[in-house]
Amino acid sequence: MEGNNIIQVRNLCKSFGNLQVLNDISTDFKEQQVVSIIGPSGGGKSTFLRCLNLLETPTSGKVIFNDVNLCSKDADINVQRQKIGMVFQHFNLFNNMNVMKNLTIAPMRIKGKSKEEAEEKAIGFLKRMGLEDKATSYPAQLSGGQKQRIAIVRSLMMEPEVMLFDEPTSALDPEMIGEVLDVIKQLAMEGMTMLIVTHEMRFAREVSDRILFLDGGKIDEDRTADEFFDDPHSPRLISFLQKVL
Amino acid sequence: MGFFEQIAVIITRYYPYFLEGVKNTLIIAAMSVVLGVVFGTLMAIMRMCRIKPLKWIAMAYIEFVRGTPLMVQLMFIFYGLPMVGIEFPDVSWIPNFSRFMAGIVAMSMNSCAYVAEVIRSGIQAVDEGQMEAARSIGFKYGESMKLVILPQAIRNILPALGNEFVTVIKESSIVSVIGISDLMYGTNGVIALTYRSLPCLAIAACIYFVLTFISSRLIAMLEKRMKHGRK
Ligand SMILES: Nc1ncnc2c1ncn2[C@@H]1O[C@H](COP(=O)(O)OP(=O)(O)O)[C@@H](O)[C@H]1O
Ligand SMILES: [Mg+2]
Repeated sequence: MEGNNIIQVRNLCKSFGNLQVLNDISTDFKEQQVVSIIGPSGGGKSTFLRCLNLLETPTSGKVIFNDVNLCSKDADINVQRQKIGMVFQHFNLFNNMNVMKNLTIAPMRIKGKSKEEAEEKAIGFLKRMGLEDKATSYPAQLSGGQKQRIAIVRSLMMEPEVMLFDEPTSALDPEMIGEVLDVIKQLAMEGMTMLIVTHEMRFAREVSDRILFLDGGKIDEDRTADEFFDDPHSPRLISFLQKVL
Repeated sequence: MGFFEQIAVIITRYYPYFLEGVKNTLIIAAMSVVLGVVFGTLMAIMRMCRIKPLKWIAMAYIEFVRGTPLMVQLMFIFYGLPMVGIEFPDVSWIPNFSRFMAGIVAMSMNSCAYVAEVIRSGIQAVDEGQMEAARSIGFKYGESMKLVILPQAIRNILPALGNEFVTVIKESSIVSVIGISDLMYGTNGVIALTYRSLPCLAIAACIYFVLTFISSRLIAMLEKRMKHGRK
Protein backbone atom coordinates (compact mmCIF):
# COMPACT_ATOMS: atom_id res chain seq x y z
CA MET A 1 0.00 0.00 0.00
CA GLU A 2 2.83 2.40 0.77
CA GLY A 3 3.78 3.96 -2.56
CA ASN A 4 5.70 7.02 -3.58
CA ASN A 5 4.36 10.48 -2.99
CA ILE A 6 2.37 11.54 -6.01
CA ILE A 7 1.24 14.94 -4.70
CA GLN A 8 3.10 17.02 -2.16
CA VAL A 9 1.42 20.12 -0.78
CA ARG A 10 3.70 22.64 0.90
CA ASN A 11 2.53 25.65 2.89
CA LEU A 12 -0.48 26.11 0.65
CA CYS A 13 -2.38 29.34 1.26
CA LYS A 14 -5.30 30.69 -0.70
CA SER A 15 -7.20 33.92 -0.18
CA PHE A 16 -10.08 35.46 -2.07
CA GLY A 17 -9.54 39.16 -1.45
CA ASN A 18 -9.39 39.51 2.32
CA LEU A 19 -10.90 36.12 2.97
CA GLN A 20 -8.25 33.55 3.78
CA VAL A 21 -9.71 30.19 2.77
CA LEU A 22 -6.66 27.92 3.02
CA ASN A 23 -4.22 28.57 5.79
CA ASP A 24 -0.77 27.04 5.39
CA ILE A 25 -1.64 23.47 4.44
CA SER A 26 1.15 20.92 4.06
CA THR A 27 0.53 17.24 3.38
CA ASP A 28 1.44 14.39 1.03
CA PHE A 29 -0.66 12.00 -1.00
CA LYS A 30 0.76 8.61 -1.88
CA GLU A 31 0.24 6.53 -4.98
CA GLN A 32 -2.73 4.16 -4.77
CA GLN A 33 -3.97 5.82 -1.60
CA VAL A 34 -7.59 6.76 -1.25
CA VAL A 35 -7.96 9.87 0.87
CA SER A 36 -11.29 11.39 1.82
CA ILE A 37 -11.67 14.99 2.83
CA ILE A 38 -14.46 15.79 5.21
CA GLY A 39 -15.46 19.03 6.83
CA PRO A 40 -18.15 21.64 7.30
CA SER A 41 -19.46 23.56 4.31
CA GLY A 42 -17.33 26.63 3.61
CA GLY A 43 -14.31 25.01 5.25
CA GLY A 44 -12.26 25.19 2.06
CA LYS A 45 -12.56 21.61 0.77
CA SER A 46 -13.39 22.55 -2.80
CA THR A 47 -10.80 25.29 -2.85
CA PHE A 48 -8.18 22.84 -1.63
CA LEU A 49 -9.05 20.31 -4.31
CA ARG A 50 -9.13 22.99 -7.00
CA CYS A 51 -5.71 24.22 -5.96
CA LEU A 52 -4.30 20.77 -6.66
CA ASN A 53 -4.94 21.10 -10.39
CA LEU A 54 -4.66 24.87 -10.35
CA LEU A 55 -8.26 25.60 -11.22
CA GLU A 56 -7.60 28.03 -8.38
CA THR A 57 -4.18 29.65 -8.27
CA PRO A 58 -2.67 29.33 -4.80
CA THR A 59 -1.82 32.64 -3.17
CA SER A 60 1.39 31.11 -1.85
CA GLY A 61 2.94 27.71 -1.28
CA LYS A 62 3.60 24.81 -3.61
CA VAL A 63 1.73 21.93 -5.15
CA ILE A 64 4.23 19.34 -6.36
CA PHE A 65 2.83 16.66 -8.66
CA ASN A 66 5.33 13.94 -9.60
CA ASP A 67 8.26 16.23 -8.81
CA VAL A 68 6.79 19.04 -10.93
CA ASN A 69 5.95 22.20 -9.04
CA LEU A 70 2.64 23.11 -10.67
CA CYS A 71 2.84 26.68 -9.41
CA SER A 72 6.12 27.44 -11.16
CA LYS A 73 6.11 29.27 -14.46
CA ASP A 74 8.01 26.44 -16.18
CA ALA A 75 5.35 23.83 -15.52
CA ASP A 76 2.98 23.31 -18.45
CA ILE A 77 -0.23 23.10 -16.48
CA ASN A 78 -2.24 21.89 -19.49
CA VAL A 79 -0.01 18.83 -19.77
CA GLN A 80 -0.09 18.11 -16.03
CA ARG A 81 -3.87 18.43 -15.87
CA GLN A 82 -4.21 15.58 -18.36
CA LYS A 83 -2.89 13.29 -15.63
CA ILE A 84 -5.17 14.68 -12.91
CA GLY A 85 -8.78 13.70 -13.43
CA MET A 86 -11.48 15.81 -11.82
CA VAL A 87 -15.10 14.98 -11.12
CA PHE A 88 -17.45 17.80 -10.15
CA GLN A 89 -20.53 18.02 -8.01
CA HIS A 90 -22.56 19.21 -10.99
CA PHE A 91 -21.04 16.74 -13.47
CA ASN A 92 -20.17 19.40 -16.05
CA LEU A 93 -20.51 17.12 -19.02
CA PHE A 94 -20.06 19.06 -22.25
CA ASN A 95 -23.67 19.93 -23.05
CA ASN A 96 -23.05 20.43 -26.74
CA MET A 97 -21.72 16.91 -27.27
CA ASN A 98 -23.27 13.50 -27.01
CA VAL A 99 -21.90 10.92 -24.59
CA MET A 100 -19.49 9.36 -27.08
CA LYS A 101 -18.11 12.77 -28.05
CA ASN A 102 -17.78 13.73 -24.38
CA LEU A 103 -15.64 10.67 -23.82
CA THR A 104 -13.51 10.76 -26.96
CA ILE A 105 -12.86 14.42 -27.61
CA ALA A 106 -10.04 14.86 -25.12
CA PRO A 107 -8.15 11.63 -25.95
CA MET A 108 -8.45 12.45 -29.64
CA ARG A 109 -7.69 16.16 -29.51
CA ILE A 110 -5.14 16.18 -26.72
CA LYS A 111 -3.51 12.78 -26.86
CA GLY A 112 -3.84 12.27 -30.59
CA LYS A 113 -5.67 8.98 -30.26
CA SER A 114 -7.46 7.75 -33.37
CA LYS A 115 -11.23 7.86 -33.45
CA GLU A 116 -11.43 4.06 -33.62
CA GLU A 117 -9.13 3.57 -30.65
CA ALA A 118 -10.89 6.20 -28.53
CA GLU A 119 -14.36 4.91 -29.36
CA GLU A 120 -13.41 1.31 -28.69
CA LYS A 121 -12.12 2.29 -25.29
CA ALA A 122 -15.21 4.39 -24.59
CA ILE A 123 -17.50 1.53 -25.53
CA GLY A 124 -15.56 -0.74 -23.18
CA PHE A 125 -16.17 1.65 -20.30
CA LEU A 126 -19.82 2.19 -21.22
CA LYS A 127 -20.42 -1.55 -21.31
CA ARG A 128 -18.90 -2.00 -17.88
CA MET A 129 -21.28 0.67 -16.59
CA GLY A 130 -24.24 -0.77 -18.45
CA LEU A 131 -24.58 2.51 -20.33
CA GLU A 132 -23.67 1.42 -23.85
CA ASP A 133 -27.13 2.34 -25.12
CA LYS A 134 -26.48 5.95 -24.08
CA ALA A 135 -23.57 6.57 -26.44
CA THR A 136 -25.56 8.88 -28.69
CA SER A 137 -27.56 10.59 -25.92
CA TYR A 138 -26.92 14.17 -24.95
CA PRO A 139 -26.29 15.05 -21.30
CA ALA A 140 -29.73 16.65 -20.97
CA GLN A 141 -31.28 13.25 -21.69
CA LEU A 142 -29.49 11.46 -18.84
CA SER A 143 -30.31 11.06 -15.15
CA GLY A 144 -27.97 12.60 -12.58
CA GLY A 145 -26.44 9.25 -11.70
CA GLN A 146 -25.84 8.45 -15.35
CA LYS A 147 -24.29 11.86 -15.93
CA GLN A 148 -21.91 11.46 -13.02
CA ARG A 149 -20.84 7.99 -14.10
CA ILE A 150 -20.19 9.29 -17.62
CA ALA A 151 -18.23 12.19 -16.11
CA ILE A 152 -16.07 9.70 -14.22
CA VAL A 153 -15.48 7.74 -17.42
CA ARG A 154 -14.62 10.96 -19.23
CA SER A 155 -11.80 11.49 -16.73
CA LEU A 156 -10.69 7.85 -16.92
CA MET A 157 -10.43 8.05 -20.70
CA MET A 158 -7.36 10.25 -20.19
CA GLU A 159 -5.72 7.54 -18.06
CA PRO A 160 -5.10 9.87 -15.13
CA GLU A 161 -2.63 9.09 -12.38
CA VAL A 162 -4.87 10.58 -9.74
CA MET A 163 -8.56 11.42 -9.54
CA LEU A 164 -10.07 14.33 -7.62
CA PHE A 165 -13.74 14.08 -6.64
CA ASP A 166 -15.54 17.16 -5.34
CA GLU A 167 -18.73 15.97 -3.65
CA PRO A 168 -19.58 13.61 -6.52
CA THR A 169 -22.93 12.57 -5.04
CA SER A 170 -24.15 15.80 -3.43
CA ALA A 171 -26.29 16.82 -6.40
CA LEU A 172 -27.87 13.39 -6.83
CA ASP A 173 -31.26 12.06 -5.82
CA PRO A 174 -30.78 9.54 -3.02
CA GLU A 175 -31.61 6.52 -5.17
CA MET A 176 -28.75 7.36 -7.54
CA ILE A 177 -26.02 7.86 -4.97
CA GLY A 178 -25.29 4.16 -4.72
CA GLU A 179 -24.53 3.62 -8.39
CA VAL A 180 -21.94 6.40 -8.37
CA LEU A 181 -20.33 5.32 -5.09
CA ASP A 182 -20.07 1.76 -6.47
CA VAL A 183 -18.04 3.03 -9.42
CA ILE A 184 -15.69 4.89 -7.08
CA LYS A 185 -15.32 1.83 -4.86
CA GLN A 186 -14.48 -0.24 -7.93
CA LEU A 187 -11.77 2.27 -8.86
CA ALA A 188 -10.39 2.09 -5.34
CA MET A 189 -10.11 -1.69 -5.62
CA GLU A 190 -8.27 -1.31 -8.90
CA GLY A 191 -5.68 0.82 -7.14
CA MET A 192 -6.58 4.26 -8.47
CA THR A 193 -5.12 7.11 -6.43
CA MET A 194 -8.05 9.25 -5.33
CA LEU A 195 -8.90 12.31 -3.27
CA ILE A 196 -12.57 12.47 -2.45
CA VAL A 197 -14.45 15.33 -0.86
CA THR A 198 -17.62 13.78 0.46
CA HIS A 199 -20.38 13.93 3.03
CA GLU A 200 -21.06 10.19 2.77
CA MET A 201 -19.53 9.05 6.06
CA ARG A 202 -20.11 5.31 5.69
CA PHE A 203 -18.68 5.33 2.21
CA ALA A 204 -15.65 7.36 3.34
CA ARG A 205 -14.92 4.93 6.12
CA GLU A 206 -15.29 1.96 3.81
CA VAL A 207 -13.22 3.21 0.90
CA SER A 208 -10.54 5.44 2.44
CA ASP A 209 -7.05 4.63 3.63
CA ARG A 210 -6.93 8.01 5.26
CA ILE A 211 -9.34 10.80 6.09
CA LEU A 212 -8.63 14.50 6.51
CA PHE A 213 -10.86 16.87 8.45
CA LEU A 214 -10.63 20.28 6.82
CA ASP A 215 -12.08 23.15 8.81
CA GLY A 216 -11.32 26.85 8.80
CA GLY A 217 -8.72 26.40 6.07
CA LYS A 218 -6.61 23.96 8.10
CA ILE A 219 -6.27 20.20 8.29
CA ASP A 220 -7.59 19.64 11.76
CA GLU A 221 -7.31 15.87 11.80
CA ASP A 222 -5.43 13.43 9.57
CA ARG A 223 -5.98 9.77 10.49
CA THR A 224 -6.71 6.35 9.17
CA ALA A 225 -10.36 5.78 8.38
CA ASP A 226 -11.16 3.79 11.50
CA GLU A 227 -9.27 6.08 13.87
CA PHE A 228 -10.94 9.09 12.31
CA PHE A 229 -14.36 7.88 13.42
CA ASP A 230 -13.52 5.80 16.50
CA ASP A 231 -10.89 7.94 18.13
CA PRO A 232 -11.12 11.53 16.93
CA HIS A 233 -8.85 14.02 18.73
CA SER A 234 -9.82 17.44 17.41
CA PRO A 235 -12.71 18.92 19.41
CA ARG A 236 -14.15 20.42 16.25
CA LEU A 237 -14.14 17.03 14.55
CA ILE A 238 -15.80 15.47 17.58
CA SER A 239 -18.62 17.99 17.51
CA PHE A 240 -18.85 17.71 13.72
CA LEU A 241 -19.21 13.93 13.94
CA GLN A 242 -21.84 14.26 16.63
CA LYS A 243 -23.88 16.42 14.27
CA VAL A 244 -23.61 14.26 11.18
CA LEU A 245 -23.57 10.71 12.49
CA MET B 1 -61.77 58.58 -53.09
CA GLY B 2 -61.61 56.32 -50.03
CA PHE B 3 -58.51 55.56 -48.06
CA PHE B 4 -57.88 52.15 -49.57
CA GLU B 5 -58.51 53.41 -53.08
CA GLN B 6 -55.94 56.13 -52.44
CA ILE B 7 -53.48 53.49 -51.32
CA ALA B 8 -54.15 51.42 -54.42
CA VAL B 9 -53.65 54.41 -56.71
CA ILE B 10 -50.46 55.48 -54.97
CA ILE B 11 -49.04 51.99 -55.20
CA THR B 12 -49.81 51.57 -58.88
CA ARG B 13 -48.41 54.98 -59.79
CA TYR B 14 -45.46 55.28 -57.46
CA TYR B 15 -44.37 51.75 -56.68
CA PRO B 16 -40.87 52.29 -58.13
CA TYR B 17 -40.18 54.79 -55.31
CA PHE B 18 -41.11 52.21 -52.70
CA LEU B 19 -39.22 49.40 -54.44
CA GLU B 20 -36.07 51.48 -54.69
CA GLY B 21 -36.50 52.36 -51.01
CA VAL B 22 -36.95 48.73 -49.95
CA LYS B 23 -33.88 47.73 -51.91
CA ASN B 24 -31.73 50.39 -50.26
CA THR B 25 -33.13 49.74 -46.80
CA LEU B 26 -32.30 46.06 -47.13
CA ILE B 27 -28.81 46.79 -48.47
CA ILE B 28 -28.10 49.16 -45.60
CA ALA B 29 -29.53 46.84 -42.97
CA ALA B 30 -27.70 43.78 -44.29
CA MET B 31 -24.38 45.59 -44.65
CA SER B 32 -24.74 47.14 -41.21
CA VAL B 33 -25.54 43.86 -39.54
CA VAL B 34 -22.70 42.01 -41.29
CA LEU B 35 -20.19 44.72 -40.39
CA GLY B 36 -21.76 45.07 -36.96
CA VAL B 37 -21.30 41.36 -36.32
CA VAL B 38 -17.69 41.34 -37.55
CA PHE B 39 -16.66 44.36 -35.51
CA GLY B 40 -19.00 43.50 -32.68
CA THR B 41 -17.22 40.17 -32.33
CA LEU B 42 -13.87 41.94 -32.17
CA MET B 43 -15.32 44.41 -29.68
CA ALA B 44 -16.65 41.54 -27.54
CA ILE B 45 -13.24 39.88 -27.57
CA MET B 46 -11.63 43.15 -26.51
CA ARG B 47 -14.28 43.61 -23.85
CA MET B 48 -13.51 40.18 -22.37
CA CYS B 49 -9.74 40.11 -22.84
CA ARG B 50 -7.24 40.37 -20.04
CA ILE B 51 -5.37 43.36 -21.50
CA LYS B 52 -6.81 46.16 -19.41
CA PRO B 53 -6.48 49.11 -21.84
CA LEU B 54 -8.22 47.18 -24.65
CA LYS B 55 -10.93 46.17 -22.23
CA TRP B 56 -11.46 49.76 -21.12
CA ILE B 57 -11.60 51.08 -24.67
CA ALA B 58 -14.23 48.49 -25.55
CA MET B 59 -16.25 49.18 -22.40
CA ALA B 60 -16.16 52.93 -23.02
CA TYR B 61 -17.14 52.52 -26.66
CA ILE B 62 -20.03 50.20 -25.87
CA GLU B 63 -21.35 52.40 -23.08
CA PHE B 64 -21.03 55.55 -25.17
CA VAL B 65 -22.74 54.17 -28.27
CA ARG B 66 -25.55 52.64 -26.27
CA GLY B 67 -25.98 55.82 -24.28
CA THR B 68 -26.35 58.29 -27.18
CA PRO B 69 -29.05 58.58 -29.86
CA LEU B 70 -28.40 56.99 -33.24
CA MET B 71 -29.48 60.27 -34.84
CA VAL B 72 -26.63 62.10 -33.12
CA GLN B 73 -24.15 59.42 -34.13
CA LEU B 74 -25.32 59.59 -37.73
CA MET B 75 -25.01 63.40 -37.84
CA PHE B 76 -21.64 63.16 -36.24
CA ILE B 77 -20.37 60.78 -38.92
CA PHE B 78 -22.01 62.58 -41.84
CA TYR B 79 -21.36 66.22 -40.95
CA GLY B 80 -18.72 65.97 -38.28
CA LEU B 81 -16.09 63.76 -39.90
CA PRO B 82 -15.70 65.87 -43.08
CA MET B 83 -15.07 68.91 -40.86
CA VAL B 84 -12.02 67.20 -39.39
CA GLY B 85 -10.88 66.15 -42.85
CA ILE B 86 -12.23 62.62 -43.02
CA GLU B 87 -14.43 62.24 -46.10
CA PHE B 88 -16.01 59.26 -47.75
CA PRO B 89 -15.00 59.21 -51.44
CA ASP B 90 -17.54 59.50 -54.23
CA VAL B 91 -17.69 56.66 -56.70
CA SER B 92 -18.93 57.70 -60.12
CA TRP B 93 -20.92 54.56 -60.93
CA ILE B 94 -22.72 54.38 -57.59
CA PRO B 95 -24.88 57.44 -57.04
CA ASN B 96 -24.64 59.00 -53.58
CA PHE B 97 -21.90 56.61 -52.56
CA SER B 98 -20.47 58.88 -49.88
CA ARG B 99 -23.87 59.33 -48.25
CA PHE B 100 -24.43 55.61 -48.35
CA MET B 101 -21.06 54.99 -46.75
CA ALA B 102 -21.76 57.47 -43.98
CA GLY B 103 -25.10 55.78 -43.32
CA ILE B 104 -23.64 52.29 -43.27
CA VAL B 105 -20.69 53.31 -41.12
CA ALA B 106 -22.94 55.00 -38.58
CA MET B 107 -25.42 52.12 -38.50
CA SER B 108 -22.72 49.46 -38.18
CA MET B 109 -20.74 51.36 -35.56
CA ASN B 110 -23.98 51.54 -33.62
CA SER B 111 -24.94 47.93 -34.20
CA CYS B 112 -21.42 46.79 -33.30
CA ALA B 113 -21.87 47.94 -29.70
CA TYR B 114 -25.16 46.08 -29.31
CA VAL B 115 -23.76 42.97 -30.99
CA ALA B 116 -20.75 43.04 -28.67
CA GLU B 117 -23.09 42.95 -25.69
CA VAL B 118 -25.16 40.17 -27.24
CA ILE B 119 -22.04 38.06 -27.75
CA ARG B 120 -20.62 38.77 -24.33
CA SER B 121 -23.80 37.91 -22.50
CA GLY B 122 -24.26 34.84 -24.71
CA ILE B 123 -20.85 33.57 -23.69
CA GLN B 124 -21.29 34.46 -20.04
CA ALA B 125 -24.60 32.64 -19.93
CA VAL B 126 -22.77 29.35 -20.52
CA ASP B 127 -22.30 27.62 -17.17
CA GLU B 128 -18.79 28.20 -15.81
CA GLY B 129 -18.55 24.52 -14.96
CA GLN B 130 -18.20 23.85 -18.69
CA MET B 131 -14.99 25.83 -18.91
CA GLU B 132 -13.68 24.28 -15.68
CA ALA B 133 -14.33 20.77 -16.94
CA ALA B 134 -12.61 21.50 -20.24
CA ARG B 135 -9.59 23.07 -18.53
CA SER B 136 -9.34 20.35 -15.89
CA ILE B 137 -9.13 17.65 -18.54
CA GLY B 138 -6.20 19.44 -20.20
CA PHE B 139 -7.70 21.65 -22.92
CA LYS B 140 -6.07 25.04 -23.37
CA TYR B 141 -8.21 28.14 -22.94
CA GLY B 142 -8.62 28.67 -26.70
CA GLU B 143 -9.56 25.05 -27.36
CA SER B 144 -12.05 25.09 -24.50
CA MET B 145 -13.63 28.18 -26.00
CA LYS B 146 -13.76 26.71 -29.49
CA LEU B 147 -14.91 23.19 -28.64
CA VAL B 148 -17.13 23.71 -25.61
CA ILE B 149 -18.08 27.30 -24.84
CA LEU B 150 -18.71 28.90 -28.24
CA PRO B 151 -20.89 26.09 -29.65
CA GLN B 152 -23.15 26.57 -26.61
CA ALA B 153 -22.92 30.34 -26.66
CA ILE B 154 -23.95 30.46 -30.34
CA ARG B 155 -27.32 29.07 -29.38
CA ASN B 156 -27.83 32.03 -27.06
CA ILE B 157 -26.33 34.51 -29.48
CA LEU B 158 -28.03 33.73 -32.81
CA PRO B 159 -31.61 34.49 -31.76
CA ALA B 160 -30.47 37.78 -30.24
CA LEU B 161 -28.57 38.63 -33.41
CA GLY B 162 -31.75 37.98 -35.34
CA ASN B 163 -33.53 40.52 -33.17
CA GLU B 164 -30.68 42.91 -33.84
CA PHE B 165 -31.27 42.55 -37.60
CA VAL B 166 -34.95 43.34 -37.11
CA THR B 167 -34.02 46.38 -35.02
CA VAL B 168 -31.56 47.58 -37.63
CA ILE B 169 -34.19 47.35 -40.39
CA LYS B 170 -36.45 49.63 -38.39
CA GLU B 171 -33.81 52.01 -37.11
CA SER B 172 -32.26 52.39 -40.54
CA SER B 173 -35.20 54.59 -41.47
CA ILE B 174 -33.23 57.35 -39.79
CA VAL B 175 -30.64 57.49 -42.59
CA SER B 176 -33.22 59.22 -44.77
CA VAL B 177 -32.38 62.43 -42.93
CA ILE B 178 -28.97 62.55 -44.59
CA GLY B 179 -30.54 62.00 -48.00
CA ILE B 180 -30.08 58.29 -48.50
CA SER B 181 -32.93 57.01 -50.65
CA ASP B 182 -34.13 54.32 -48.32
CA LEU B 183 -37.75 53.31 -47.83
CA MET B 184 -38.51 56.28 -45.58
CA TYR B 185 -36.87 58.69 -48.03
CA GLY B 186 -38.87 57.21 -50.91
CA THR B 187 -42.03 57.51 -48.86
CA ASN B 188 -41.34 61.17 -48.15
CA GLY B 189 -40.74 61.67 -51.87
CA VAL B 190 -44.15 60.21 -52.72
CA ILE B 191 -45.78 62.36 -50.02
CA ALA B 192 -44.22 65.45 -51.60
CA LEU B 193 -45.62 64.47 -55.00
CA THR B 194 -49.12 63.45 -53.88
CA TYR B 195 -49.77 65.49 -50.70
CA ARG B 196 -51.31 62.28 -49.27
CA SER B 197 -49.24 61.61 -46.22
CA LEU B 198 -51.48 59.17 -44.38
CA PRO B 199 -51.84 56.55 -47.14
CA CYS B 200 -48.14 56.83 -47.97
CA LEU B 201 -47.14 56.28 -44.35
CA ALA B 202 -49.55 53.37 -44.11
CA ILE B 203 -47.86 51.78 -47.11
CA ALA B 204 -44.40 52.35 -45.57
CA ALA B 205 -45.52 50.91 -42.23
CA CYS B 206 -46.89 47.81 -43.94
CA ILE B 207 -43.67 47.30 -45.91
CA TYR B 208 -41.50 47.70 -42.79
CA PHE B 209 -43.73 45.27 -40.98
CA VAL B 210 -43.55 42.70 -43.75
CA LEU B 211 -39.75 43.00 -43.83
CA THR B 212 -39.35 42.56 -40.08
CA PHE B 213 -42.00 39.86 -39.88
CA ILE B 214 -40.37 37.78 -42.61
CA SER B 215 -36.96 38.27 -41.00
CA SER B 216 -38.10 37.16 -37.58
CA ARG B 217 -39.90 34.12 -39.05
CA LEU B 218 -36.74 33.11 -40.91
CA ILE B 219 -34.73 33.52 -37.72
CA ALA B 220 -37.20 31.45 -35.74
CA MET B 221 -36.92 28.68 -38.31
CA LEU B 222 -33.13 28.77 -38.10
CA GLU B 223 -33.34 28.60 -34.32
CA LYS B 224 -35.63 25.61 -34.44
CA ARG B 225 -33.31 23.78 -36.80
CA MET B 226 -30.37 24.41 -34.44
CA LYS B 227 -32.24 23.03 -31.47
CA HIS B 228 -33.03 19.83 -33.32
CA GLY B 229 -31.82 16.69 -31.55
CA ARG B 230 -30.80 18.16 -28.27
CA LYS B 231 -32.03 20.32 -25.44
N1 LIG C 1 -14.17 32.15 -6.30
C1 LIG C 1 -14.39 32.55 -5.04
N2 LIG C 1 -14.40 33.86 -4.74
C2 LIG C 1 -14.61 34.28 -3.48
N3 LIG C 1 -14.80 33.46 -2.43
C3 LIG C 1 -14.79 32.14 -2.65
C4 LIG C 1 -14.59 31.61 -3.97
N4 LIG C 1 -14.62 30.27 -3.89
C5 LIG C 1 -14.84 29.96 -2.60
N5 LIG C 1 -14.94 31.08 -1.84
C6 LIG C 1 -15.15 31.12 -0.40
O1 LIG C 1 -14.17 30.30 0.20
C7 LIG C 1 -14.72 29.60 1.30
C8 LIG C 1 -14.45 28.14 1.14
O2 LIG C 1 -15.22 27.66 0.06
P1 LIG C 1 -15.15 26.18 -0.45
O3 LIG C 1 -13.73 25.82 -0.74
O4 LIG C 1 -16.10 26.07 -1.59
O5 LIG C 1 -15.66 25.37 0.79
P2 LIG C 1 -16.28 23.90 0.86
O6 LIG C 1 -16.05 23.23 -0.45
O7 LIG C 1 -15.55 23.25 2.01
O8 LIG C 1 -17.72 24.07 1.18
C9 LIG C 1 -16.18 29.98 1.37
O9 LIG C 1 -16.33 30.97 2.35
C10 LIG C 1 -16.47 30.51 0.02
O10 LIG C 1 -17.47 31.49 0.08
MG1 LIG D 1 -17.41 22.50 -1.88
